[in-house]
Order: sequence, then C-alpha cells, then structure tokens
Amino acid sequence: MRTRALLIWFVLFCASTVFGQSGGELRFCLRSDPKTFNPLLVNDESSETVRYLTAGFLLRVNRITQQPEPELATSWKVFDGGRSIRFKLRPGVRYSDGTPFSAADVTYTMEKLLDPSIHSSTSDAFRSGKGKLATRVLSPTDIELTFPAPIANLANLFDGVPIISSSSPQKEMAALGPFFVAEHKAGAFVLLKRNPNYWKKDSQGRQLPYLDSVRLEIEQNPDIEAMKYERGEIDLINTVSPAIYDKLARVNASLVRDAGPSTDTEELWFNEVPAAPIPAYKKQWFASTAFRQAISESINREDMSRLVFHGHAVPAVSNVPQSNKFWFNQALRPHRFDTAEALRRLQADGFRLENQQLRDKNGNAVEFSIVTNAGNRSREQMATMIQQDLKQIGIEVSVVTLDFNSLLERMTQTFNYDACLLGTVNGDLDPSSQMTMWLSSGEDHIWNPKEKTPATGWEAEIDKQMRIEASTLDFNKRKAAWDRVQKIAWEQQPVIYLLNKDSLVAISPQIKNAQPSPFRPQTYWNIEDLMLARR
Amino acid sequence: MKLVHKAALAVLLCAGLASIFASYVAPAGYEQQFRNEAQAGPSLHHPLGTDDLGRDRLARLIYGMRVSLFLAPLAALLSTIFAAVVGGIAGLCGGWVERCFMAATDLFLALPWLFLLITVRALLPLNMSPMASVIITFALLGMLGWAPAARVICAGAKQVLKSDFVWAARARGCGGLKLMRMHLLPGLRPALAAQFFLSIPVFIIAEANLGALGLGVSEPLPSLGGLVNELQDFVMLPPEPWRLAPLVVLIMVIGAFQVLLNKQEVHA
Amino acid sequence: MLRSLSLALLRFLVLMLVAGLAGATLVRLAPGFSSDEQELTPGLSSESIQAIRQAHLADSNVPRFYLHYLSALIHGDLGTSQSLNQPVVDLLRDRLPVSLRSLALALLLAWTVGLALAIGAFRLNSSWFTVAADASGGALISTPAAVLAVLFLILRWPPVLAVGLLVFPKVYRYTGNLIQNCLELPHVVVARAKGVGPWRLLTWHVVPVAIPQLIALVGVSISIGLGALLPVEVLCDVPGIGQLVWTAAQARDLPLLVNLTLVVSCLTIGATMASDQLRRVTGRVGA
Repeated sequence: MRTRALLIWFVLFCASTVFGQSGGELRFCLRSDPKTFNPLLVNDESSETVRYLTAGFLLRVNRITQQPEPELATSWKVFDGGRSIRFKLRPGVRYSDGTPFSAADVTYTMEKLLDPSIHSSTSDAFRSGKGKLATRVLSPTDIELTFPAPIANLANLFDGVPIISSSSPQKEMAALGPFFVAEHKAGAFVLLKRNPNYWKKDSQGRQLPYLDSVRLEIEQNPDIEAMKYERGEIDLINTVSPAIYDKLARVNASLVRDAGPSTDTEELWFNEVPAAPIPAYKKQWFASTAFRQAISESINREDMSRLVFHGHAVPAVSNVPQSNKFWFNQALRPHRFDTAEALRRLQADGFRLENQQLRDKNGNAVEFSIVTNAGNRSREQMATMIQQDLKQIGIEVSVVTLDFNSLLERMTQTFNYDACLLGTVNGDLDPSSQMTMWLSSGEDHIWNPKEKTPATGWEAEIDKQMRIEASTLDFNKRKAAWDRVQKIAWEQQPVIYLLNKDSLVAISPQIKNAQPSPFRPQTYWNIEDLMLARR
Repeated sequence: MKLVHKAALAVLLCAGLASIFASYVAPAGYEQQFRNEAQAGPSLHHPLGTDDLGRDRLARLIYGMRVSLFLAPLAALLSTIFAAVVGGIAGLCGGWVERCFMAATDLFLALPWLFLLITVRALLPLNMSPMASVIITFALLGMLGWAPAARVICAGAKQVLKSDFVWAARARGCGGLKLMRMHLLPGLRPALAAQFFLSIPVFIIAEANLGALGLGVSEPLPSLGGLVNELQDFVMLPPEPWRLAPLVVLIMVIGAFQVLLNKQEVHA
Repeated sequence: MLRSLSLALLRFLVLMLVAGLAGATLVRLAPGFSSDEQELTPGLSSESIQAIRQAHLADSNVPRFYLHYLSALIHGDLGTSQSLNQPVVDLLRDRLPVSLRSLALALLLAWTVGLALAIGAFRLNSSWFTVAADASGGALISTPAAVLAVLFLILRWPPVLAVGLLVFPKVYRYTGNLIQNCLELPHVVVARAKGVGPWRLLTWHVVPVAIPQLIALVGVSISIGLGALLPVEVLCDVPGIGQLVWTAAQARDLPLLVNLTLVVSCLTIGATMASDQLRRVTGRVGA
C-alpha cells in the first residue's frame, strides 16, 4: 500500500515536471523602461509589451494562423462596404479591480483613441475619412461603430485597440488582460501579477493564465540578456541576434528556435528627392532605373545572409516574405547576383569603366556614401559587404554610421544623404498598413517623400493600385492590386530589398505550451497558455 | 632592470616597424574579404584567424596599430600642450586670472560635449575619406581632453612657484616666459608626462567609441580602439581566445611607453 | 573666510547658470533635435508626424526655454522628461543615489589601491614592484570601460568596482610622479642625507608639499570617476544617472538633459571648488 502511494506520488511529481504546472514567475527583459502605462498612448516597444500582457482586446489576430479570433467580443460583422462593424460582447467580464466591462467602455475607448491629441497608427487608420465616428449601443453587450469612410481590413485593426474602463477608479490601470501592473521600479523592473478576474479558462475549466506573475527586467544590452538566459536567470528572449543564437545553440540546441521568416526586412534606397542638397549628377544616377537595378544585381545577398545572419535570412524580393503564401506575389524571384549583367546595364545607360573606376557619361567618378544607424553591428557589416561588392564594378562607397536622430533628420527633413541602409519592421502583413509608404504623397515614401504629384509614371501606377487595394473588400481584387504593386517595385527598385530575416527566439525548455511565432510578440503571444515546469 | 627597458624598446620598435611596413608584413589587405573563410580560427594563412566577414585579423591589427599609434600620441601631445598652457598661465598669474581660467576649466568638464561632436559630424561631408575622419577625430579628442589635467598642473605650478629656486630666479629679475620656460615647465614635467602617457590609451579607445556618432575610423579602415572595442560582444569570446590579441597588443605598447617614460622621468 | 566662502558660492551659482545654458544650447544645435523615432511608425498620417515634430520644437527657443525652466526651478519644478514621460524630480530621486553610491565606492577603491601602490613603490624601492604596479595600471588603462565592465559581469562581481579600477591608474600615476618629484626637492634630499627614515620622510617632508596637488587630484578624480561611471552604468544596466544620460541624449530630451547637465556640473564644479577651498586652508596651515 505504501509502495503504491509512493508510486502514485512519484508519477504525479514526474507529470508535473514534464507537463508543467500552474503558478510561478516568468522572467524576461525589456530594452527600456515603458514610457507609459496608458494603453492608448503606447508608441514604444516596452510599453507595447506591457500593453500586450495587461490590456483586453475585442479580438486578437492569432500569431500562427494570422486569423482574427474572438476575445472580449464573441462575434463581429463588418458591413456597409467596410464603414461599419457590429460587435457582440462577452457578458460577465470584469476588470482586475472588479469593475464590470460593458459596451460603454468600447464607446469611451473609441472616443479617447480618436482624440486629436493621440498620434498612433491605429487611430490614424480609423481617422482616414473626414467626419466623426458614430457609435450605437444596442444593448450592454451589443455595439455598432460607423466610420465616416470605408476602412480596409477594419476588423483586424481592433487587434490594436486596448479597451479601457469608463468607470473604474483605477482608470486605464484597470486591466482586462491576463495580468495587471503591480510594481514598477524605474530602470530596474516591471512586475505584472495575475489578473484574478481574467475571463479566459482552459479546456478543463481552469482559470487562465497559469502563471502567477511576469517579471520584466530592464536590460539594454543583448549580450548581458543572453548571459542571463544562459544562466537561467530569465526564461526567454523575444529576438536574438544570429551570433547569440549560434552561441546558445552550441551550448544546448533546445535553448533556441528559428521561428521561420519574419516580416522584418533589410533594405537600401537612394535619395531621389529633387530638392536634396546633393550634386545634380548624383540625382541623375539615383533617378535612373538601370543604375538602381545594376546596384541591386551587384550585391551578393547570399553571402550577406551567410556571413551576417549566419544563414538565418533569405534574399528578399519585396517586404513581403516569400513564405507568406497569402500576400506574396508568387511570380517574382530574388534578383540574381550578376556583376557582368550589372556592368552591361550600366554601359547601356552611359556609364563606363575606366581603370577600375566607374564614370558617368559626363566623366564624374561614381562614388556615393551609405548612411546607416550606429550601434547595429549587422547593418554595419552589410554596408561593408556592399562596399566590397560595388568595388567590383568600380564604384567607391563610403560607409557612415550616425546616431539615430541625426540619421532621421537627414532622411526626413534635410535629405542630405546619398543612400541609406535600414530595416523595416512590419507589424501587419496587410498591405493597407503600408499606404503611407507606397503612396507618392506619403510621409514614409522614403526615397522621395510627400510628392505633390507622382514624379514618375510607375509611381502614379502604384498610387492607383494602392487606392484600389484600400477601397475594396473583395480579397481577389485587393490581392491582384497588391501583386501589381510588388511587381512594379521589383522592376523599378526604388527600394532595393536585401534580405528577409528569420525570427530567432530563445525560449527555455522549462516553459511548456510555447509556440514561437515569426510575428510579434514572437514568444509570449499566447502568454495565458504558458506554464513553467517545476524548477 | 635594463632587460625591461630593452624589452619595452623592442616592443615599441616592433610595433612601429610593423605599422610602417604594414603592406609588407600583413598577410593580406585589411579590407580583403575571404568570404569562404569567415570566422576561421588561426591557421598558416591567417595567424589570428578571420573576422565575421572573412577579413584577416592580423592584417587588421597591424593596420589598426598604424592608425592609432601614430595619431593618438599626437592628440595626447595636443591635449598636454593645452593643459600646460591653461594650467601654467593660471598657476603663474594667480588671482583673478587663475579664477577665470579654472572656472572655464570646470565649465569645460561639466558640459555635454557629445552634442558638439554630433554637430561636428553634421558639418562634415558624408563622403569624407576614412583617414580624414580619423585625423579630425583625434584632433577633437586632443582639444577636448585637456581639462582634468589643467587643474592638477595649475596646482603643481603654484607649488613650484613657492620653491626657493623660483624665488631666487625672480629675485634675479627672471619673469614671464623665461620663468615659465626655465623653471616652471621643468618642474611640471612629471605631471605633464603623466597627462601625456594617460591620454594615449584613453584617446585610442575614445576614438573607437566615437564611431557611434559617425566620427572616428570608418569602414573598412581598422583602428586599434575599434578592434579592442569589438571585445564587447563577449558572447563569442570563450571559444575564441585569439580575439584578445588587440587588447594584448594595446596593453604591451602602453606598458612599453610607460616603462620608457618612467626611465626618462627618473633621469630628468 | 566668510567673504571667501560667499564669493565661492556666488561663483558656483554663476557657473551653474552658464553650464545649464551652454548645455541646452549644445543640445539644441545638435542635429536630430526635432526628430523622433516614432515618426517611422508605419501608417502614421502626415498630421501626426507634424504634431510629433512640433512637440519637440516647443523648446526650440533656448533662451526662452531656459528662462522658463529657471522660473519653474525656483518653485521646485524640474520639468517633465519628453522621452520617459515622467517628472524629472522623480527620475533623479530614483537614480541619483544609485550613482552617488557607486561613485563613492569606486573612488574609495581607486584611491586606496592607487595610494597603496604609489606609497608601496616609494617605500619598497623595488624596481620589480614598480614594474608590476605600472603594468597593472597600464593594463587597466588600456582596457575600455565597456570591456572591463563586461568582464566583471561574467565573473559576477559588482560592475561599479570596474569604475574604481579604471580610475586607480590615474591616481597611482599622478601620485607616484608627485612623490618622485617631491623626493628631488632640496629639503627632502637634505633630510634623506641626514638619515631620516622612509615613513618619516613621507609623512613629514613629502606629504605636506604634495597635499595641495593631491587635493586638486581628489576634485578632478570625481569628474574622471563620473566619466568612467556613465558608460559602465549604460552597459551594465545599472539604474543610475549614466543610463538616464544616454537615454536622454539619444532622444534629445532637452528638459532632462538640462537637469542632468546641472547635476554633473554640480558634482564636478562643487568637488573642484571644495578641493580649492580645502587646499587654501591646508596651504595656510602648511605655511
């Protein structure tokens, strides 16, 4: 009898070790202090992490399937050509302080979100048309929102709308998400504790989240973060560099995972602003499609992926990863590395190679500088590789690293640069979130922002296709328009896409139910399901 | 102790000769990328292995020494001259001149010069050659690095002025520049030597840190400070001890400077 | 004495005022003053980007900003940090004690080791000891603060000790030279010739002569220590003012940077002025 009892105890102990158990504290790092705990004012990564873990949303886009799933809204319906959306809300939900959640909170949140003093991409997307939002509370659990103009991808936008309470004494600090902010020591840590009123339960009826608390340590240095992870002082790292990935994999392969191609890209573009304070002959080179194509063909992307990203990146076609069957234009292929073809192209455009130095038709030596942000080692290495590659076709490149604000001023205000190497983080794969980049009048139209009229025929065509894409709910029409935009960008190369990076994460084998996703937040997107094995 | 001095001399001689004849000594060009041999360990072809982009580490070290070991002493000399002039004049004149000079020094120590450096970068052309960039950086370091020493030198100058031989010289009618040249500067020599010696490694490393502002050496040119600073991403260090070579070289060269300078100080 | 103190205080205040204004001007003139990383958020409208830039340009008139800042300062309001969105008073209250404690510890270590080695070199008169001390000082001064701090982290030692080791070679070097210099002074040579023992020589003949310069060095070592502490704090994520300075500088956070300039000025100018006063007193006593 005693032996059997011992056996049962042993089996239970082993099961809890293998399958994990409720409770415990998950620890990971933030790069900086959160700038705000008000979920509507979030504009930095650390605040976004806190918001993700504490705020409640009407729906959430599943980071694996990329499909919206019910949260505080049990169902929704978009109608009126994308102008209106009706939500059915979950009944009986309470905030962390016990205040009940109702349709009035959704109205209050939308009013606050659309306040003119709030500047975020979500509120700007809702403000796309002139006029006001009309809200109609049909019952405490039914609400209808009508916008002044149709909005593409309307339902998914609510993935970025945290619901705040209109009546809680704790105001925006009252949480509807799995955790609430319990303590913050500036420069040191943020402690989140389990929300006792969280509405979600698992399939066995146990209340989620399984974890008792989440401790977010402020740690700017990724090397120190990796050291802490290796020592078991933290449980996960959301994004690791390829060098750290390889080092950790050498220690123990189960410490790291490659979650697949992310939406992050690395790209190079030339300054095509007509009023830029750079010599006219350089503007002529940069405006030439043949020149841009030749540069693109002279860059060895395979080498770049192998040396800088240790193979955890693939040559890019556009800012949509090729693995994305949904939005990627499958007819396109990465540009080949072919210096002979590049030279032929340049010669056809009037350039000539003299004593290993490329000159334009007026005899100017082809030299330009590439600026990039200081402190990003992979980008500095990429720029150095481009420098070496372009030397093969007689182009002299100087690499300049600048602090981010100086770089930003050159990029967006003074336009005093030749070429820029930077990366893009695309949170949303839906092309409608990239309107300001592709529209010629857009602020983010990086090679020539805020054009009064499209400077070229192909930019006019992109404008047309982007408007078609944004104004219809028909997926096939949207996909066709977006495919066309990708094709034009691939031919004209206003932005030379270099690589699509993989999403590399470190997640301790002690964490159960982890399903790393290539999309943000890669490791803790299903935080309520995460469980710690007995330490 | 002759052996130590000989060894120090040998180290400096080796470093100097290797830097001057870098193109003959180095196993490859500093910018040449052997992309199929990236991150390789030491071998006959690459005695210190290769870096992430396949560049020969030894070649980069030798060329890096050339840049840093010639320019950093010049910058150190510049900052020592500034410190000597400001501290010396303040100590010599005393009174309100000393108060004004020392107030300016205090102010100089407290200001966020980082922003001046960012502004200087903005005023320089982007396609400046790596060599021009590094010369400007060291000149800036020389001009900004004098303030801590000026205070000590001012205090030293006042002390020297109190000594009997200065009183005697003054009584003989010796004053102004002559007093400074004949009596003050020799008396301040140890403090000035310390400032000069301490500035060299500080400037070598500071130059590398200014890379974050777009100043300093730009790719592909290496600098000793830049190579030493690469040790910061220490995740790779334990399995690759040969990466410590730049730090070892820097310590050896600075140590050699120190030993020889000590000898001169003692003999002065 | 009172007059000298009040004059010193007046000088201190004037210097602080000038430092604050000069600091604000340097920040304002640096490129990127009106830029914000937030501008690159995909999907932001033109109006939002303009609004973000305007928020930065609100403080673009430096004299007006500074006057406004000073009038608020008199009422105890240090303003609000643009980048961290918190009152500057709170930020300083949290972080200043951390940095001051680190600085005090580091300086204590630097001076203990530096003086011990300098006196040891003099007392033992052994070339090997001097070479060993010189070598350790040389090795430490050739190692970047960042690399040394990282090494300490790996060894699980407090990174603040790295600051002490970075300042020690300077203390050792200056002090060693000072002692060497004093030994060549005529009265010391005479005392030695008379057979005065090394300890007595040091305490009675060398220290009184060297003390003004040593006091000057104490003042200077505070600013040297601060210079080494700031990068170590940034690298090792010590929640002190170093980390704050770096964050503020990256974001061109004028209200925070002006306050931090004043804090650093207060420490460096205060330390050097205090050492000046002390030197005067000791000079008088010595005389």
